[in-house]
This record gives sequence, structure tokens and C-alpha cells, in this order.
Amino acid sequence: MGKRTNRGGDAAGWPRKKAKVVHEAPTSEDIHASRQLRQLLIFDQDPVRARHGLQSFKLYLDELLAAENKDGDRARILNEYLNSEKPSEDDDIPVYLPDIMQTWSHAGQTNNDNILSAVPVVLALLLKLLSQSLEMVPYGLGICRTLLQKRQQELISRNLSADKGKAFIISPTLRLLREAIMFDGGAIAMPLFRARASMLKSLARNMGIVHIGEEPEDIKRPSPRSNAVLFFLSAIRHLQPEAKKELLSQRDIVSALTRDVKQDLPYLLKELLKGLRAHVLMDDNLPREAKSHLLNASTLTRLSALYQYRLDTPAEDVPSISDMAHDFLLAACTNPSCGVLRQDSGFYPREVDANAPISAAEVDDLGLEAVVWMNKFRNDVPVRNWTLSNFLPNLRPWSNVKQSELIIAIFKVAPELVANYFINNKSFTFEPKLSATWIGYAAFLFNTVTLPIPDNFCRATSFPGLPPPTSIVIDNILPLPLSQKALMRSLTNKSNMIAFFATRILVVAIEKLDVAIKLHQDPTHSNKTLWDEAARRLIDEFCQRSPGIKEMINSYRSIPDTDLLHREAASRLLRLCYEVLPQVALSAKFDVSPFLDIALGRLSKQELDDPRDLGLGLKELENLLAIAGYSPGMRWFGATEAQPLSPFILLLKVCVESPQGVSLDNIRQILNFVASEQQLVPARDNHAGLLPLIEALQTMYNSSPGSTTHLWYFIDNCLTRCANTPVKYVEKLQELIQEATEAKHENVTSAVISPIAIAMLEQLPFIAKSGDKAVLKALAQFIPNFLGFSLTSGESGPVLSILFSRMVTHLPDSKGRLARSGIPQGLQFKHNHLPSADPLTTNGRTNTASRESPATELSINDEVLERTLEVSDNLKAENSSLMRWASKTADELVDEGYATSLIALLASEHASIRKEALVAILKAAAKIKQSEYEEKEQVWLLLSELAETAKDNINDGPLPSPIVAFASHALNVLRDPVHGLYPKVNNFLTRGPFWKLDKLPLVDEILSQEPTVGDSFYTQIAWLLVYLIDGLRTPGDLELYHKKRAKGPLLERILAVATNPYMRLPLRTQFLKLLFRATTIEGGSTTLTTRFGIMNWLDARKAGCGDKSEAALYDALQRRIWETCDQERVRAWSKGGLEIQN
Amino acid sequence: MPSSSSSSFSSSPEPAPRKTDDQVQSEFTSYYLQRATKEFAEDLDKVRNADDFKADTAVQMLVAALQQGTGMFSLEEQRRIVDGLKRA
Repeated sequence: MGKRTNRGGDAAGWPRKKAKVVHEAPTSEDIHASRQLRQLLIFDQDPVRARHGLQSFKLYLDELLAAENKDGDRARILNEYLNSEKPSEDDDIPVYLPDIMQTWSHAGQTNNDNILSAVPVVLALLLKLLSQSLEMVPYGLGICRTLLQKRQQELISRNLSADKGKAFIISPTLRLLREAIMFDGGAIAMPLFRARASMLKSLARNMGIVHIGEEPEDIKRPSPRSNAVLFFLSAIRHLQPEAKKELLSQRDIVSALTRDVKQDLPYLLKELLKGLRAHVLMDDNLPREAKSHLLNASTLTRLSALYQYRLDTPAEDVPSISDMAHDFLLAACTNPSCGVLRQDSGFYPREVDANAPISAAEVDDLGLEAVVWMNKFRNDVPVRNWTLSNFLPNLRPWSNVKQSELIIAIFKVAPELVANYFINNKSFTFEPKLSATWIGYAAFLFNTVTLPIPDNFCRATSFPGLPPPTSIVIDNILPLPLSQKALMRSLTNKSNMIAFFATRILVVAIEKLDVAIKLHQDPTHSNKTLWDEAARRLIDEFCQRSPGIKEMINSYRSIPDTDLLHREAASRLLRLCYEVLPQVALSAKFDVSPFLDIALGRLSKQELDDPRDLGLGLKELENLLAIAGYSPGMRWFGATEAQPLSPFILLLKVCVESPQGVSLDNIRQILNFVASEQQLVPARDNHAGLLPLIEALQTMYNSSPGSTTHLWYFIDNCLTRCANTPVKYVEKLQELIQEATEAKHENVTSAVISPIAIAMLEQLPFIAKSGDKAVLKALAQFIPNFLGFSLTSGESGPVLSILFSRMVTHLPDSKGRLARSGIPQGLQFKHNHLPSADPLTTNGRTNTASRESPATELSINDEVLERTLEVSDNLKAENSSLMRWASKTADELVDEGYATSLIALLASEHASIRKEALVAILKAAAKIKQSEYEEKEQVWLLLSELAETAKDNINDGPLPSPIVAFASHALNVLRDPVHGLYPKVNNFLTRGPFWKLDKLPLVDEILSQEPTVGDSFYTQIAWLLVYLIDGLRTPGDLELYHKKRAKGPLLERILAVATNPYMRLPLRTQFLKLLFRATTIEGGSTTLTTRFGIMNWLDARKAGCGDKSEAALYDALQRRIWETCDQERVRAWSKGGLEIQN
Repeated sequence: MPSSSSSSFSSSPEPAPRKTDDQVQSEFTSYYLQRATKEFAEDLDKVRNADDFKADTAVQMLVAALQQGTGMFSLEEQRRIVDGLKRA
């Protein structure tokens, strides 16, 4: 180019260094006439005069644009000038403003930067002015078309690609293009875009020419970047979708658009965000892929930098740039039509066939392992949303609420990203630290855990054939940073707030686990075995990642009494453990009683001033009560030294003394439930339960709050007696009924009276004798009311009258007023609702969901029965064990089951196998004894005693299965010194060198003796049942089970234990499994029927259970027994009384 | 403690207007936050003095973090607790 030539002689004497650009201010003059204007703008080769003309025109246009009235004389001058410059209609290529265009062209030839800049300046202003007048639009369009002519295109292109330092040329040219593309609603946008080689020349580069300097960019003198961005935004506003798509596919432009976004002025950013949102994101005509060109991970990341944008100071009701960026990103990333978000398959990763066919044989052999991809996604989860997957790690959810919200919103619409995100971001740990960052991260993780599980795991309308990978499900329930170590350290942290956050996360995690388990157990699954196994795995994995119940209990213990919120959350966590992971919770032997005492004590003392605190305290109490309900060892009655009232009375006290308005429905339900279970009230569906007592106490308390104080010990005494000896009061009731029948000569044999009233009658004389006037006075007020409410609730009037007449003799009633007035009639319940509408509510049985009549319509077929109750034969001989054990260490022999496999071989039918097994057991015992194995002595003793027992009978046939089963299970007890049976097994082993073959080891110790460790009774029963089920395999074994013994046949004792009302469903089912096992043995069902009256036993169990599916199980078991028994014999035995129709 | 006389039981108490769900949620959130700041006052002070505490963003984060636990209470549970305010 002619740069050097241009300098000519002027530059000849200058030193050879970079020329300093000096902008001399152009001269100008005021314009008064169109003729003058034409003269000024006429082509003139003299650059000074040309600049003078252009500058005068510029000032004139500025003035017009600023003027309110654009139709005055000044405007007329312009119109006249423009008309005079209008090209002839005959021109083939009409050139508007030919003089200005020529001046521009000449400046190009002479490299006059000042004029190259001045021309676009005036043209941009002129177009802006013309766009405001409808009449002048055609003229403006003419100018725009002139710009598209080759000569002008070259000039524009040249201007746009001027040196980066020549912002004064680049900026006006971009402004001119912007005015042109916007003119008349984008009339020439398309032709302009077609000439993009010139018009968009260096656009990307120009977007990078930012304002430099310490002072912020002047809004009146925007940088080339600002002008370029505004031009781009005008282009996407006016271009057709196809052209826009092409524009967006220019990677350099799209990339430059957001590269320097952090430095842009607020007004520009507003334009940018609004423009992109309106004309890209929300443009339904623009194809998805075009949008995704713009919204790649890098653009999203740069826009996310605006979360930290601080150059704006918005007014209160105006959104900040940071807010606008957040809204933009939220829409871009969560709206599928915006081009970023892709439809995923929830918890199933990309490329996984969730309906892959798997043969039944494979399922039987390999279980979940038959699904090849099941374990594949622990370290990498392929996703469809790779743009988002790349974008998310750039956000900082721990330090910014909005960024956290954005990620959570994305997780919600693309659940596949949760596991992926945490696998890819392992560096940020959850190690507890009392800092804003940790709290921010904890809050983010909490929100992640609370995200819902996608519909049917895959966001479809039905479940796929195969369960989702367990690792992905667990990563969504307890994301990877929530490791067991980090959670444990948080839970036990000395900072209560850290423990509180960890507790809350665990609460929502267990709630989510519960939902996931239920989804796995949905009855519609086609491949139930696999889903069941997946559910079990899920629970196992959760337990491995979650802190143990002991840590949770310790954490709860350490919370100060006054921290109600924390206590509520921690008690809720424990309650959820009992509900969702009962096997884990029950293993902890947690005694809830002391906590319940404390909570009840606090509430009954009314220490909480704020009724809302009371409400929160009641929530904690409800949680503890629920735990008490799940703990078989809960002692409801019986005072302690520390707490002279029983927990039940304390709870009653809370219920009676709570302020009005505090909801007590749950407490009332629990009181009624316990009262019914403990037989304090008649177990009739339509009986009001404890309500008359509660109502009488509440009435009295509300009339005089101090009056009930004297009653609690008396009532506690009566209730404890009822609970301890319920039969006694039933008998007393019969006597009273008899008396009433005789006295009134009417039949009241079916009369119902609460045993509590009878216990009160019994205890009243002792109070009278003690002469405690305060108590007697309170009783004189309370008893008539209590009996009155009992009468209202439907108890028998005649019997109550007899009761009253006897009670009144012990009450202070010197004037006989009490005796005369009798039981008050027609008392109305004001604090409690009588159960007329819902009779079940009051006898406390509603908390078990469906306590409907057990007369059930459900039925269970043989297949389901087998699946539910059949236990595989764990003593089935595997002869290969004889070979495998030899190379194993002592630890492996005991812990990995090689020793138990050898033990099982003693039940083999083949003498040679048994002999070999015996030798192997002796050798293994010796090997263990010589090892460093911790429990080597006990294990050696067990194996040696077993060998000694088997030795003399080895040729006589298989060792009785119960002996073998005992040895196997006892070995497992010895492995674990904290096992509840550890002391008993050791005692048993030290008793003698061999065992009696006709006696079942340890049965008496478990059934008849107190548990040696805490309240592990139920754990011991569970262990015994597993051993008994394994030990029942042959008719010979069955004989041992029904053999007459001093304390009765074993089966009889087991059936008696099974009637324990506190037994939970899993344990109840174990009993049924034992019975089912008996039915598989020849003669088993007949023996059960004729020797143990099993049909009646099952009938009774069915009548006592409220769950339809459990009742159906009893029915099915009865049917099975009938089908497998010797029906002729049973008919004869029952004299035709037993006959079950299929 | 309530100190109503026995006569108050002969007439049924006037039903208080039932709060809307939004009212209940807002009252409960405010109570929850108040309770949390009271229980963890000491820890919150330590967080305020931590190196990474930036006044402009961290306060917002703390408030959001503390009150997110309200979601663990169902609307009915929230209502029960805030309704505890109305005494006889």
C-alpha cells in the first residue's frame, strides 16, 4: 500500500521511528442554507476543506438529532440538500450523496484517515436521522444501497480492517453498518449479510479491540468492541433464520463476542444479554444446532463470569447484570429449545440398553452381574449433555447462591449430570471446616440430595426392564463428596452447626433412599429378581457411605437441650433409620427411654416459653415416640429414680397440659396405641380408648391448672397395674358385670368398661387410708367426670354406676352431695373427638396404615408363597470344599466361609465324604489354633467339639442337621465378640467336650434365660430361627423338633414365642419360613396339624394381624399345609372339621 | 400457660381465620431462621470472622443455607408449629 508514498516529502526529513498520530481538530461553520451545505460537501481534493465540510455537516446533524422539533427550517435545509443530491431515476446504478461518496473514495486513495473516519460518521448520523422520518425512508434506503455498491463495500472493508489503533475509523464504520442494517426494520439486512466478506470484515478482531486505560470506557465514545457487539446484535435481530444460523456458525465471531465480556459496560451487557435471549435463545425459527454454536461450554463459562460483575450499581428494583446473566444462563441451560440441554435417560447413562434381554438362566446364575454394564460407571459416566458437563465445573456453587441455584436447576432437568459432575470434580472435598465455603458447599449438596428421582428412573412413563446402575443411584442419594469419613467427622464435629448441616443432609438422603427402594420394589417390574437384588445392593452401598447409627446416636446425645432445631433434626434422622434401615438401626441396641424421659420431662415442665418452640419440641417427641414404637425393649411403665413418673404418664401429662392450639393428634394416637397394646383399654374397634381419661384430665386442668398435679401418681399407679396384670382386671370386670346383672335384672354381659376404672376402684381405698387430702379432693373432682365421659363414650351405665357407688365411699363427701348426684350425664367432649366417624382412630391402630378387617380379598398363589417363605438349603454339600480349604489362611478359613463349608459336609449322605470332612475339620482346627487369628481358641474349641461329637457316629449316617447348623452359625458368632450371643456360645462350649445328638444346642439358653447383653432378645430369637430353619432338612430332624422334652417340644415353644405381639414383621416372617420348611419334609404338614394344631394357630395369627398381605400369607400357608399333609389322616383326626377348599 | 375459666368450655371458641399456605411458609421460614441463628450464634460468629467470608455474597449464602431445612417440614407440620402461637 501507499503508506510511505503518501507521506511524500513531508515524511522525508523525519527520523525513522513510528509516526505519532496527531489528530488536528477540523474547522467547521454553521449551516444556514441548503446551497451552503451543498457547497460544503461538494467533492474537494483539498483534505482541509473536505474535513471542514464534513465536520460542519456532522455538527449540523448532531444538532438536528438533539432537537425536539425535526420539521423546522433547519430540517428543511437538509431536505433540500438531499433532494438536490438525489440521483436521476434513469441511472442504472444510482449513487446517493455522490459528492460524499467521492470524497470518501478519494480519502481511500490518499489514505486520509481523518476523512475515512469523518465520512462514516456523517453517514451514520444521517441514516439515524432519516430513520426517524417516514417520508425520508426511501432516501435512506437509497443511501444504504449505495453502501452496498462495490466501491463503498471496499471502503467499508478497508475501514473495518484498519490498524487496531485506529479506533476512530473502525468505530464510526461499525456504527454506520449498524444504522444500515437496522434501517427500515432491517430492509437491507439480507443484502448486507450477503456482502459479508466486506461488511463483516474483521468483525471478530474488532470485537477484541477493547477500551484501554485506567479510566472506565466513556459511554459516549464506545470502543470498537462495543460498536462491533452492537452491530452484531442488530444483525441477529434483523437477519432471517438461515442467515442468522450462518452468522452464528462463524466461530471466531461467536467466540470474540463473549471473550471480553467481563470488561464491558453495563449498558452493553444488558443489550447483549437481552439481544441473545430474544433473538437466539427464544427464536423458535432458529434451528437448535445454530443456537448450540453460540451456547458452547466456553460461551457459557464466560457469561458465568458475570456472576462476579461489579461495574454496575443498579437501583433496588432494577435487575443487576449478575441477575440478568443468571436468568440468561438459567434459560439457556434448562430450556430444551435453547440448544444446550439434551434429553437424557435419567439414571441410565448414555449408550446403555436398559431393556437388554437377559435370559432367566443368566439371572439365576449371575444375578445382577448378568447385566454387563451394571458396575461400569463408578469412575466415569458418559452423558448426552457434554456441553453442560464441561460447563458445570467452572461454576462455584459454594461461594455464590445463584451459581448453586443454576447447577441445581440443571441437575433437575438433566439428572444424568449429577453423578458425572461429582466424579469429575473430586478435588473439592467435604472435610468439615467452620467457614463460609464449607457451609456453601453443604447447602449445595443438601439441594442436590433433595432433587427428585426421575420418573421411573429413566424419565419415561414406565420402568425399563433392568434396574439402573447402583453406583449412579447412590451417587444421587449421597453424592461422592459425602463420604463416610467426611460425614462422620462432620456429624461428630465440635461445632454444632457443622453437625446440624450433616444431620440435615443425612435426613434428606435417607428419605430419598426410601423412595428409591420403593421404586425398586414396584410390583410392575418384569424382572423382579434383578430389581430386588439391586435394592439390596443399594442399601448395602448406602450403609457403606453413610455414618453408622452409633455415630448418629452419639451426635444426638451431644446436642444441648436448648437446641430444639438440631434435636428435632437428629431425632428425625434416627427415626428414619428405624423406618428405612431397620436392620441397621436395631443392631445398635439404642435405648430410647432416657431420651424420651428427658424430652417428656422438659415438655411436661413447660420450660418452653414460645409456643412455636413447644411445637418443635413436640416434633422431637414424636420422633422419639416413633423410635420407641420400633424398639421392642421400650419400657412404657415403671418409674426410675431420676424420673418418678413413667414415660407413659409423662406423655399423658404433655398431652393434657399443652396450651390450646398446639396440635396433639399424633401424641394422642401414640397414647391410644400403647394403651391398646398394653391392654389398658378394651381392644374394641368402637371403643373410645383413652379419650375419656384424657378428656376428664384436660377439663380439670383447664378449669384449674394446679388441680391435676395431685392425680399423676395415682393414675400412674393404676395404669402400671393394668399393664402388669391385665387379666386380673378383666376378671374383676366379669364379677362386676355379674353383680350388675343380678342387681338390675338386666343382661349386661356384653358390657364394656375400661380396666383403668376398675384399677382405680381397687386402689382408691389405699389412698383413702393414707389420708392424703389433696389427692382425695382432686379425685373427688376427677372421678365423676372420668366416669361421666366414659358413659358418654358408650361404656355400660349400670356397671359404671356400681363402680361409682363403691368409689364414692372412699371419697371426701361428708354432705353426700357426690353420692346423690351420681355420674354426671350427657358430658360433651370438647378437647377430643369421639371415634364415631372413624372408630379405628381411637384405639390407636391407625398408625399402621391399614388396620382394616383382616378378612382379606388378597390371595397369594403357591409361587409367591414359595418365593416369600422358601429358604435355600444352606447345608447342601459342596464336595469341592474338601479341596479348597487347604491352601487358605486361618482368617480366610473362618471369615470367608471355608470352615462352614467343611462343617456342612458332615451332613453329607456319603460316609466317605463325612470322614474326609472330619479329618479336614480337625486339621483346620489345628491350623487355626497355631495362627494369629484373634478368636483362635474359641474357634478351635468349637471345631474340636464338633469333631468329637461327630467322630463316634460318623459311620451311622449324616450328622443331625440342627447340630451342623448350630456349629455353622456359632462359628459366625465367635467371629464377632460384640454379638449378643457371644457369651452364651462360649459358655456352651466350655460345658463339655462333645454335644448330645438328640438335644438342640443353645435352644434352652435362648428361649428360657435372660439375654446376657442388653435387650438383645429379639436379635437372639432371629439368630435361633435362622439356625433352626437351616437345621430342619429331614424327617429325622423334624423328629428332634417335636420330641417331647421337659419344657415341651421345641416346635411348641417356638409357636408360643411367635405369638409375642411386639414381634415385628421380618421376625414374624421368619417363623413362617420355619413352618414352610417343615411342610417341605415328608410328614411335616401332618405333624404340624395333628401335633401342634397349626391350622388354629394360623387362624389366630390371621385374626390378630391387620395387614392384608400378611393375612393372605397365613391363608396361603394354611392351604399349603393342607395340600401337603396326609389329608385322610387329618380328616379322621379332626373328625372332618378341617377341610380347606382350593 | 392458659388460664381460662371453666366457663370458657361451655361456649365453643371462635375459630381463628385459617392462614394461607404462603403465610404459613413465610412465618415458618422466619421462625426457623430465627431459631437457627439463636442455636448457632457462636458458630456463626466464627464463620463471620473466617478468611473466606465476603460480606456481599457470604451473608446471602448463609441465610440460604440455614433456611433450606424448612423443606424438611411438610406444610401441615409447619402449620402446626406456627399455629402454636395462638393461645387460648
